[in-house]
Amino acid sequence: MKTIKYSVILLLLIAAILLPIFTDAYFISVAITILTFMTLSLSWDMMLRTGQLSFGTAGFFGLGGYTAVIISADLGVDLFVSIIIGGLVAGGIAFVLGIAILRLREIYFAITTLALASVFSVVIRNLHKITGGPSGKIVFNTLFDYDSTKIYWLMLGIALGTIVISELFKRTRIHFAVDSIRADEVVAKSHGVDIFKYLIFVFVVTSMIQGVVGAAYALQYGFVSPESTFSPHYLLLPISMALVGGIYSTIGPIVGAIILGLSSEYLKLVMPYGHLIIYGVIIVLVVLFIPRGFYGTIRDFISERKHR
Amino acid sequence: MESILKLQNVTKHFGGLVAVNNVSFEIEKGEILGLIGPNGAGKTTLTNLISGIHWVNEGKIEFEGNDITLLPTHKRCHLGIARTFQISRPLKNMTVVENVMVGALFGKKSNLKLARREAEEICNQIGLEKLDTHFDKITVLDIKKIELARAMATNPRLIFLDEVMSGLNMDETRHMIETVRKIRNTGVTVCIIEHVMSVIRELTERVIVLDRGQIIAEGPYSEVSAQHNVISAYLGEDA
Amino acid sequence: MKDLEKSVFWKKNSKLIYLITAIALLAIWRPHAILYGIQRGSLYSLIGLPLSLTLGVVGIMNLAHGDFLSLGIYISYLFFVNLGVDPLLSIVPVTLILFGLGVLVYKLTITRVQKSGHLNQLLLTFGISMILVESLNVIWTSRPRNIYVPYASSSMTIANFTFGTYELLYVLFAFAVLMGFQLFLKKTRLGQATYAVGQNPRGAKIVGINIGFVYLVVFGVSIAILGIVAGVMLPRSSIFPMVGAPYTMRSFCLVAMAGLGNLPGILVSGIVLGIAEAIVQSIPGYSGWSDLVFFGVLIAVISIRSMRRLAL
Repeated sequence: MKTIKYSVILLLLIAAILLPIFTDAYFISVAITILTFMTLSLSWDMMLRTGQLSFGTAGFFGLGGYTAVIISADLGVDLFVSIIIGGLVAGGIAFVLGIAILRLREIYFAITTLALASVFSVVIRNLHKITGGPSGKIVFNTLFDYDSTKIYWLMLGIALGTIVISELFKRTRIHFAVDSIRADEVVAKSHGVDIFKYLIFVFVVTSMIQGVVGAAYALQYGFVSPESTFSPHYLLLPISMALVGGIYSTIGPIVGAIILGLSSEYLKLVMPYGHLIIYGVIIVLVVLFIPRGFYGTIRDFISERKHR
Repeated sequence: MESILKLQNVTKHFGGLVAVNNVSFEIEKGEILGLIGPNGAGKTTLTNLISGIHWVNEGKIEFEGNDITLLPTHKRCHLGIARTFQISRPLKNMTVVENVMVGALFGKKSNLKLARREAEEICNQIGLEKLDTHFDKITVLDIKKIELARAMATNPRLIFLDEVMSGLNMDETRHMIETVRKIRNTGVTVCIIEHVMSVIRELTERVIVLDRGQIIAEGPYSEVSAQHNVISAYLGEDA
Repeated sequence: MKDLEKSVFWKKNSKLIYLITAIALLAIWRPHAILYGIQRGSLYSLIGLPLSLTLGVVGIMNLAHGDFLSLGIYISYLFFVNLGVDPLLSIVPVTLILFGLGVLVYKLTITRVQKSGHLNQLLLTFGISMILVESLNVIWTSRPRNIYVPYASSSMTIANFTFGTYELLYVLFAFAVLMGFQLFLKKTRLGQATYAVGQNPRGAKIVGINIGFVYLVVFGVSIAILGIVAGVMLPRSSIFPMVGAPYTMRSFCLVAMAGLGNLPGILVSGIVLGIAEAIVQSIPGYSGWSDLVFFGVLIAVISIRSMRRLAL
């Protein structure tokens, strides 16, 4: 059974790596978008597993993007280093923020993170000497000079790295800490789990991932601006993808990203305006009727039959 | 005998309600202490204060000579204090053995492989089977056993058993009494909170009686149970 | 006896009295900012009061709160542009429409997630918020609109100090809504039932109160009040799909400041927040930072609260 699983994964991996060779530029750009949102969706789910709902994906995504563009444009930092620094800055801010707000949970944490994108936006608008203000900022050398195949491989690498981290979180003691915190904090701490430490850890790691992918995304185009970089798109889609695919899992967000990523391309053709409404509707419908998502429902169904 | 736990003038109130009122006592190393009293007397609150779920408003708690009054919950667990919950709280997103592993992983700080083995062993000793099932497929008795196993997995030196006997039939009670004795024989000090007096009579060397947040009696069960104030605490003033 | 009463009065209200004194002093220093701050702050309180009621009684944090306000503003706009109804008069139909909408949304969606925990509730209202904003975007585009009503720019001059008078309506309505809530909770049967449900839902159920009905009314009323706000805001607001969104955040900030169940505290907190923002806005060169004041306050309140929990 296991060898079948591993061979399937290997095959998919090879197919993913070889994809750009067999498809055209349009499909590669769709794939890049799917990978970007897949990473965001997975990182959002990783935080969700602790029981804390973070609405900050767009905020840290944009923060990473702005950091990378600013330091590469103004300080001439190498693009790949900028991506890493973008991640570190996002993680650093998450650390400071987390210390302030993670002791109060649930609603307080969720809403404070919801405000993040607009707060970062305001800060950026005000510091226009550094950030270019409302009109945005440009860096002239972009990643791989718009070579979409190489950009695809970079995004694939980031996505794979995130998948690995997500699985690590599920296979080490982190899994037990996170799941026990989510299930019952009183029990967790009575049995020795340092809740605060684990929450901060997961929050910082997931925010770093969002910063990294934000930096890579921004450096593709060499452009950031408060409206486009902090767009609620980068919050709405990852959440719907994880919900559709199945939360609390690695495969769920992957599946959700592929399903919604592909259908959004189709939607854009059919409904040029207002396709964001669909994502809102999707979130509402999934929360109301299939809270376990597609993968989650299938997984529960299979395990039910196993235990009959 | 040296004391393992010492409470001095501990008081806890919730808003206007004083749940624990100027309580001082010691638990001796290696004993099985009974903590009894009518409902609402403050027994569970006392347990919560000692294990760290609540902070005291006044007073001092010492564990093995260390002042733990301001220590957070998880650190108290690391020092060796464990407890079960009166209303069982199994971790619903995990299997039976995974529940117990949480205690081994974070209370005892074992690595994953060791934790699994330790958890399996403890489950065997307590009589828990079907280790890999999710909690919603097991009996009420099993849930109680999980509570106990999970707490024991943290490798405690002092354990509070909050009404572990409730809802058990005679055979199960017998089995549980043996288990508690086994626990004490491994060197763990036990404090047992119970309403089933036959269990208290059989297991404990000493009891403390709590009523309305205050200690009203202390001593061997045979003596304490005959005291007038204890009887009237349970049965009302006119008994 | 009278001296004892006096000293008790001063002790109980001392914080409030310090606050009012401070505000009065600030008013002499920067009168326009303080007046503007009180007006804006009252608007925040006006929007925050229904949220506090929903959060305290129904237990739901409605992330779509501000977006219902946006919807109300657009409906008011429609009444004005298509039927020539004065904005303040349109309060009546808009309030009723929003009440109906609130009841509908409650019955269709919120009842299903009340038992599911906060995560699902937050996600649900987040989804509803997105649906509202994007629908408004599709129907009306993001181009801002404005209406003109002559009385909206009325002003008054007192001792060389000229100020706009329309926005004093915010203060008036804020006090009125607060008093309305207090009267409702204390003097009507439904209100007392609501208060009971807010304190202890299970207990209320046992006593025979129909908590489902209470939840329904509270949720509906809180959306309906946004209809009142919409009508009052219409003459002075730029109208665009995200117009109401910032108020969701600020309302939550007020709830965090005042604490759950503290309705008068919302009014006080709102005015404090409004004045703080106005003062920052009046500092030359730093006016753009006034949008962050609420966030700073929120973080400060949360940090202080969490430290208190630790230190006890």
